[in-house]
Amino acid sequence: MRWLHTARIWRLPLLIGLLTLAWLVFPFPGAKAATTRHITLDASQFAFSPGRVHVNQGDRVVFTVAAQDVVHGFYLDGYGLKTRVEPGVSQQIEFVADKTGKFRYRCSVNCGSLHPFMIGELVVGSNTPFWRATGLIVLAAIGMLVYLWQSGRVQEMKQDGTLQSSTP
Amino acid sequence: MERRERFAIAVVLLILIGLPAAALGYQYWLRPALSSTRMIDIRAAAPEAGGFQPDAIQVNAGETVTLRFSSTDVTQGIAIGPGLGIDLGHVDPGQVKEITLTFDHAGTYTFYCNSWCSPDHWRMRGIVQVDDPANPGALPTSQRDPVIEALIAEGVDIDDNVHTDDHPLPVISLDRVPSVARGEMLTSTVNVPADLQNAAWRRSHSPAQALDLLIADNPSMGRAELADVIAYLWSGGLSAEQITAAQTLYNKNCAACHGETGAGDGPVASSTENNPVIFADAGYMFTRRDDVLYAKIRRGGMGTDMPNFGTLFTQDETWALVNYLRSFSGTGQGPLGDAH
Ligand code: HEC
Ligand SMILES: [Cu+2]
Ligand SMILES: [Cu+2]
Repeated sequence: MRWLHTARIWRLPLLIGLLTLAWLVFPFPGAKAATTRHITLDASQFAFSPGRVHVNQGDRVVFTVAAQDVVHGFYLDGYGLKTRVEPGVSQQIEFVADKTGKFRYRCSVNCGSLHPFMIGELVVGSNTPFWRATGLIVLAAIGMLVYLWQSGRVQEMKQDGTLQSSTP
Repeated sequence: MERRERFAIAVVLLILIGLPAAALGYQYWLRPALSSTRMIDIRAAAPEAGGFQPDAIQVNAGETVTLRFSSTDVTQGIAIGPGLGIDLGHVDPGQVKEITLTFDHAGTYTFYCNSWCSPDHWRMRGIVQVDDPANPGALPTSQRDPVIEALIAEGVDIDDNVHTDDHPLPVISLDRVPSVARGEMLTSTVNVPADLQNAAWRRSHSPAQALDLLIADNPSMGRAELADVIAYLWSGGLSAEQITAAQTLYNKNCAACHGETGAGDGPVASSTENNPVIFADAGYMFTRRDDVLYAKIRRGGMGTDMPNFGTLFTQDETWALVNYLRSFSGTGQGPLGDAH
């Protein structure tokens, strides 16, 4: 127990450091194991709906693409997946989102004048590390403040003699 | 200096005009001239942008021609029928697909788009008229269809399904969706009247009529079980390839209106004046004769949005389609018919 007294001013930063480590190593209760995401994509001249899809890395993604007016296509950049959709016959595309980042999905059938603008975006987020890193930075900032504040106190205590008396 | 400038201008002009002229000249003049067969260029555009240009071509029987299809606006699909088995697949704008072929007999064929390119897509058709050079004046015999002629002779109205307020849709009540598989197991335990065993009779009578006869001959059996037996009798005995082919035809040409599962809920259904028929409704489909469904597919609707497909599909393909339509309500063979 002695070190506790001698290093009193280090206690808080130490605690914070340990917590941070735990934070990084142990999995989030919220960041559950990869799930299967069923997403219906409606394709019509000249947009996909939804135009932006967010999944987590490792998720199994099942896109059901349905053409609402004329023949459309679906091409997912990065993953190289492609299908062609006739109106009335929806197509399923299934894959594991193992690559993180932003990937465009675009219509791959020339469906009319604005066809080149028929683009959507799949965001595969490696959420957990991102939030953990954010947490880390915030904690580090707090730790820094506490450290500066504490060292300021040490200085004061040394000056008015209280530090001397508290040490056995 | 003067001369050099003029020379430079000449070079620029040569490149600007000469290059395209050479490329086009090769494509449209030199190549056809060198080719041993006649070349016919057909440009495809969505119907509202003009459809096929030209939309009618004439060839002689026995003559070898090369048809070159290109698209000017959106992705089109090119097929020629009936019965030729020609599907050139998709033609993207800027792409050219060609086929060299010889028509053996005088007659009429249809080249058509088989990729749903616009709301009016199904109007996108063109005619190949094949004349007999030995008998040039003769008109090609108009396609006679004995099935449709027999219906007319019998006085059957193939448009009686078109719903009006004073003329509600016919429908019978069935306790459950019939099943071909259940019917097959039951059929040996049931007295099947001779008529029902006759394929020609079955085509010209409705399953509901057959069900009444079967009930009369098997008073001890339940109605639902006997409906299964009818479903089995109506399943067409098609090969797996025929079913797949029918499914492909259906998905490309019909699903946009009638829906992938025959529920009448395709995305184009909202813009047709009459509702596309719901093939998934067993109680309704039991009242429909195969030959009437066949005739509607080939002749099309009378002033309704149901297109005619008689100039695109063969008779056998049409019968397979009829069977496929029945599979949506458990009565024909198809991916859904087997599942029930
Ligand atoms: C543009 C929309 C559209 C398309 C495409 C279409 N249909 Fe139809 N169909 C209709 C409508 C609307 C009706 C109801 C009006 C009528 O019967 O004329 C109908 C009716 C029918 C009927 C009559 C059913 C009965 O009870 O008599 C049959 C059979 C049929 N369709 C088969 C087909 C097949 C097979 C295809 C594809 C090869 C097809 N349809 C493509 C709109 C469509
Ligand atoms: Cu598109
Ligand atoms: Cu088309």
